[in-house]
Amino acid sequence: MNGLDLLALGAWGVLLLKYWLTGQLAVLIHPNYFPLTIGAGGLLVGLVAWQGWVRWREPGQPQVWPESHPLLPRAWGRFLLLSTAVVGLIVTPRPFNSQIALESGELLQMTRTLPQQFRPANRPEERSLVDWVRLLNVYPEPDAYQGQKARVTGFVVHPPDSPANRFFIARFVVTCCAADAYPVGMPVDLPSGDAKQYPADTWLEIRGKMGTGQVKGQRRLVLQAEQVTPIQPPANPYLY
Amino acid sequence: MTALQQGLTLFFSLLVEAIPFLLLGVLFSSVLLLWVEPEQLLKILPRHPLGGAIAGAVLGCLLPVCECGNVPVARRLLTQGMPASVAVGFLLGAPTINPIVLWSTWVAFRDQPVMVWGRVGLTLLVAVVVGWVFSVQQDLRPFLQPAVAQMMPKPMAQTVREPVLSGVPTGNFFALAGGKTLPLETTGWNGARLLSRRGQWQLVWVTALTELRELGGVLILGTAVAAAIQVLTPREVILGLGQGPVTSVMAMLVLGTVVSICSTVDAFFALSFAGSFTAGALLAFLVFGPMVDLKGISLLLTVFRPRAVLYLFLLAGLLTFVLTLAMNLYL
Repeated sequence: MNGLDLLALGAWGVLLLKYWLTGQLAVLIHPNYFPLTIGAGGLLVGLVAWQGWVRWREPGQPQVWPESHPLLPRAWGRFLLLSTAVVGLIVTPRPFNSQIALESGELLQMTRTLPQQFRPANRPEERSLVDWVRLLNVYPEPDAYQGQKARVTGFVVHPPDSPANRFFIARFVVTCCAADAYPVGMPVDLPSGDAKQYPADTWLEIRGKMGTGQVKGQRRLVLQAEQVTPIQPPANPYLY
Repeated sequence: MTALQQGLTLFFSLLVEAIPFLLLGVLFSSVLLLWVEPEQLLKILPRHPLGGAIAGAVLGCLLPVCECGNVPVARRLLTQGMPASVAVGFLLGAPTINPIVLWSTWVAFRDQPVMVWGRVGLTLLVAVVVGWVFSVQQDLRPFLQPAVAQMMPKPMAQTVREPVLSGVPTGNFFALAGGKTLPLETTGWNGARLLSRRGQWQLVWVTALTELRELGGVLILGTAVAAAIQVLTPREVILGLGQGPVTSVMAMLVLGTVVSICSTVDAFFALSFAGSFTAGALLAFLVFGPMVDLKGISLLLTVFRPRAVLYLFLLAGLLTFVLTLAMNLYL
């Protein structure tokens, strides 16, 4: 362990704490694992500070334990850790956007969502987007939900070749971290006007009633919008 | 631009999720390195080939070391007359069958518990079968590197003795005051016992941070590969490869060999392929990756002769392939 090694490891500790303090951790991982990351950040900073102090004040203490078969030369590990930590400290991670939601091809299939809990049926407007999609997965008959009130938030996706007054409202669902994020979405019909007035990736809150419509030749649940309000992107873009 | 941002988010989310587990793993293994004496376990291990293979594979629960830590331990145990079935079972099973690896796999695949059970089950099966096959060879010495074989007692003289390491230079040194060093093999096998309590803890911290630097570098390289494949490869290519029951398993076996991420965190690497690859393929990566990879081969060659490493590699790879392919086709 020389000073540069300690600096590189310490920088990673600082990076983990920075993600926590700036709230960017929510863009990267599921909130269940915040304590692990925060703890690791604190532990790393503490360990590095302690080792720095030992190096400075007690140079006689053992400081090397060379591994017999390093896969990477020492300098590489140090360089990789330090450079990625610096990039991480500079760049703000962005949540995934509508283009990625479209490319994943899962927006229209909805095969991966498993129900974890159900909201009471008498307050349908309290269901989030993912609650609706999970419900549909279990009981897909669109007529069962005709006329139910709905209030969902999400970002706008424009799938190619959809009618002029229709867009998709979508969210990403995360179980561990952004690496396993997959999109869920629902078609929204505007009563009149052009769906393109809301550019892709705009965050909206939509109030309306559930109805049915043709989506790619299939009869499906479509949200008939009554009131569309642009909102600020939430600090935590994912649903769980 | 979108692709770059997506790649960076993917890259950092994998690292932020994985680094706490890596830190936990290196701290755990450093503490154990100094205080647990695997030699004592030898006295209670079963001698029967099958029982020994099972015991070896489960030994990882008591000595949680990932694949980078377990080859030196296996070498030490072999020089003391550990039966072949135990040694091979330990080499293949221990990196996966241990608490931290199972925890991180569960975190990554919370909505697919079959990945966790499948990982444990298949790893145990492969490790035990290969260990059993190797036990047919009563005298392991023709398979071993000459330096290790010399240290080994004859197969019948199965007494546990105080290890002598001087014939196998470990390349490990104690740093003493004034820039002097003391080779580990001249201190008896566990030289750390000579240190004061304060010095022992200092060694724990230094070992942990040194391992973290090394494994962290490998983790960053592997994560960059995962993020780059996700972002740069056209979706149709990934899906075409990842949805075929045979091609997906082949691709993941190759990836598991090339990408040498520590088993503690390789579940997160596999996770980034969860949407596009078959479950059997991900399982093949999780089972075979910790057993054989580029780093592991260079380590294994310090113990076994190339021919034996090839047998190990082929047997474990074929078993994993057949089992995960069967899972893809029949489950």
